[in-house]
Amino acid sequence: MTTTALRGSSASWIRLSLGLASLAGALVASVMALVWAPPDANQGEVQRIMYVHVPSAWTAYLAFAIVFVASAGWLWTRRRIFDAIAVASAEIGVLFTGLALVAGSIWAKPTWGVWWTWEPRLITTAVMFVMYVGYLLLRSLSADVEGRATRAAVIGVVAVVNIPIVHLSVTWMNALHQLPTVLRPDGPAMDGRMLATLIVSVLAFTLICAWLMVARVALETSRQERVLDARGA
Amino acid sequence: MSVARPRRQAGIGERRLLALTALAIAVAIGYVAFQNLNTSAVYYLTPTEAQERKIAPGASVRLGGQVEPGTLRYEPTSRDLRFILTDGVTRTVVVGKGAPPALLREGAGAVVEGFFATDLSFRATQVIAKHDEVYVPPSPSRTPPHRTP
Repeated sequence: MTTTALRGSSASWIRLSLGLASLAGALVASVMALVWAPPDANQGEVQRIMYVHVPSAWTAYLAFAIVFVASAGWLWTRRRIFDAIAVASAEIGVLFTGLALVAGSIWAKPTWGVWWTWEPRLITTAVMFVMYVGYLLLRSLSADVEGRATRAAVIGVVAVVNIPIVHLSVTWMNALHQLPTVLRPDGPAMDGRMLATLIVSVLAFTLICAWLMVARVALETSRQERVLDARGA
Repeated sequence: MSVARPRRQAGIGERRLLALTALAIAVAIGYVAFQNLNTSAVYYLTPTEAQERKIAPGASVRLGGQVEPGTLRYEPTSRDLRFILTDGVTRTVVVGKGAPPALLREGAGAVVEGFFATDLSFRATQVIAKHDEVYVPPSPSRTPPHRTP
């Protein structure tokens, strides 16, 4: 059919552009992070891990916020595209939360002196990670498309509370993790080149997130269609 | 499955009720979590808090504060580490074994895990350097200021 063919070709065009933009973003961000930005006076070269750690955490927040919106969208309208977006962004969020945890841990060993400690930011991030892994497990328990989407969507809406809890956990009494550097009341407490590098890294990660999202949503949509065809609906 | 079972379709009102209920639960959980964790989740005690709570000798505890300038001593041969941890009010002598993390510096924040000995000095089994959220490039003319946790 012409419309499907058109839709297909425009979708693959978007995917190709996003893929190329992601690649370019990753290259520019890598050069800036590894060469152009200065090392930190206290931490030295290990501070460069921040250019992976912070964008990973940001991308995870973004992905889980999209899970929330898409889950609410499914509950409100029952349009299948919302369920596809929810599962796609949940997987991406788990991936980037994992990456933020690993990068943070590698940074923590030379800086704090420990790989892991039961500190508020670390605990709340671990809880967020486990909760969304649970969300994905819950989805895999059932093949019933509508029921599964509804059960998952309720979790997808409720689990959004993790985002503000993780973000604000550093402001709680007696924590170890440092406070936000960029989003702090009296402006970013960071050298200009470091800040520029961080912003470019965040943009690059966001592009990669969008690229993965488009690909994963397309995969889920075709899976939904196969299931519906098999059901004869 | 060859024959699709008849499926009960939820009415539009019911669905939206579900969406609103889920949102209400999210808000409630968030509110309760904030109210409680904000005040009760404590990763470490300050030396003053530890004194007020009369932590028994030998009981595992984490202390946090600032490494008092001029007190940090590390003997590489015996691997003895010693410094005074202060919160500005109470000073606690911390004794440990092994090299401290590179970022443990005088005037900077530190968290120690361990227990109080009977002489009220603190036996650290783990020393963690705390650092702040300020990032600056190195410069020969000045050392960046550390801030208390």
